[in-house]
Amino acid sequence: MPSYRRRSQLAPAHAAAYLSLFLLLPRLACAELPSVASINLCTDQLVLSVADPAQIRSLSWLSADPEESMLANQASVYPLNYGSAEELMAIGADVVIAGSQTSPFTRSLLRRLGSTIVEIEPAASLDDVERNLRAVGAAIGRDREAGAATASMRARVGAMRERRDARTRSAVVVRAGGFTVGRNTLANELIGLAGLDNVVANLDRWGSLSIETLLATKPEVIIMTSYRESEASLANSFFSHPGLASIAGATRLEVPARYFACGAPESLAAAELLLEQMAPR
Amino acid sequence: MNESTEPGRPAAVAILLAIGLALALPLSLFVGRGSGGPTFGLGAEDLAATILAEIRLPRALLGALVGGTLGLCGAALQGLMRNPLAEPGILGVSSGAAFGAVIVFYFGFADSDSMLLAAGAVAGALAALAILYALAGRAVDLVRLILAGVGINALAAALTSLALSFAPSPYAALEILFWMFGSLADRSMAHVWLMLPLAVPGWALVVAAARGLDALILGEDTATSLGFSVRQTLWLVIAGSALAVGAAVAVTGVVAFVGLVVPHLLRPWVGFRPSRLLLPSFLGGALITLAADVAIRLMPPGPELKLGVVTALIGAPFFLHLVLGSRGRLNA
Repeated sequence: MPSYRRRSQLAPAHAAAYLSLFLLLPRLACAELPSVASINLCTDQLVLSVADPAQIRSLSWLSADPEESMLANQASVYPLNYGSAEELMAIGADVVIAGSQTSPFTRSLLRRLGSTIVEIEPAASLDDVERNLRAVGAAIGRDREAGAATASMRARVGAMRERRDARTRSAVVVRAGGFTVGRNTLANELIGLAGLDNVVANLDRWGSLSIETLLATKPEVIIMTSYRESEASLANSFFSHPGLASIAGATRLEVPARYFACGAPESLAAAELLLEQMAPR
Repeated sequence: MNESTEPGRPAAVAILLAIGLALALPLSLFVGRGSGGPTFGLGAEDLAATILAEIRLPRALLGALVGGTLGLCGAALQGLMRNPLAEPGILGVSSGAAFGAVIVFYFGFADSDSMLLAAGAVAGALAALAILYALAGRAVDLVRLILAGVGINALAAALTSLALSFAPSPYAALEILFWMFGSLADRSMAHVWLMLPLAVPGWALVVAAARGLDALILGEDTATSLGFSVRQTLWLVIAGSALAVGAAVAVTGVVAFVGLVVPHLLRPWVGFRPSRLLLPSFLGGALITLAADVAIRLMPPGPELKLGVVTALIGAPFFLHLVLGSRGRLNA
């Protein structure tokens, strides 16, 4: 190969070239990072956790809403999209990150138009969150940052294990509309981190919770996930059901719904918030 | 409703509607939603060709094809049943199709643009019609047919909801909105090619029933004595509607009321004979649906409205108006 021959002849020049390349490398790598647009509230938060801000061309419209997003402040500086193929063509990002449940029509149209589209499965555990962080990191050239984000997640988890009460307390998550979470959900794992034991752990993933079940299981802690309480909805009226108020002796904790909405590093804040609320004052 | 003895001018009306359609299609290509709100023109030069050919064109074509299908089948079903309230939606054809598509799609058998999805929708529409036949079949009792359709509609909607609740994806339950209030957002040419091979034979079957439908106006016995088979006419319309509406629903979900409103709007102009109503209803359905879809894109910034919401907002009051007008006759 010609290059091998030349190397011996031009060693000093090469050394200088390598050196300058080495010095330039971080900047070059940054300049070469693919631009990214995300069209899903949850992938927005993954992108914000690993991307270089300069890479981000657009995030989805919900992510700047403080009711929906854990990172609304951070997200609000970017152009927002409503996830239509036409908007994404105009945005022209190198990589589009979508949720696996984003409109199948939009996904297939974008693929047809030659976009690089990366689909992220919803997370049902912290392991899933780490997997998704790595997938986003790999897609946008930020493997190292994805690794750092997972490491900091583990550190936060470790800190919570130190902090939580030795005694586990029974608990239930009550969402608007009387929905609840069972095993195989991220929320279940998060309340576990806070030292709580889900009384409906026999439920697979999601389900509805009747007031009767709630009365019968007598949880020590009721976690209410409030969501847009000032806006009328049938779902929110569940919280004012007299049956719910009649459960005596249960500690009621409130965690805004956005904490459980997505699987992202900031999901850990749900467990931290629970620990904080349960801490003796 | 159909008492008019005016012969009407179907050819002139068809030409006018075709001109309207020729104007609406470019308008639909011109209006986009490139930044969350309405945008006009094709945007950046380097993207214009792609946006036109791959995003706006399929959307406009599908608006016309789906709307045309619904207008045509609405006119044929109203003729068949001699009932002003008939519509693909009311027979349960649309919701049966949606259920078929939901089963194929959510249980992992097919992508959104696969022929299998459309086949599922057509199968769902046919299943709805098979039940319809079992309930109201042999006697060709038309009032019974409509009542059976109402029941099938409710059943298909409940089954769709049930299937979506059991679908592996937790998000499926939320997507019932799409299937119940269809949309044309982000459809591609793949969906055009998916729809045409099923819709075109469907239209052909419906059109083949035109003269039989004309004869049916005189009553079943007279039609039979004139040499028209009532049964054949029934099945041409039903099979044709199942194919065409199934293909449309697979691509857009249920877009209600177009098939109800359009023939009614046109009857004063073209007369009441189904054979003269079919083509204008196709063109009128295409025009109304395209216009509704352009209106959606003109809405202020925010997530797009569903097409079926807009057509229902226009169509449902019209439906109620018809119910009021026909109360005496339905009681009789």
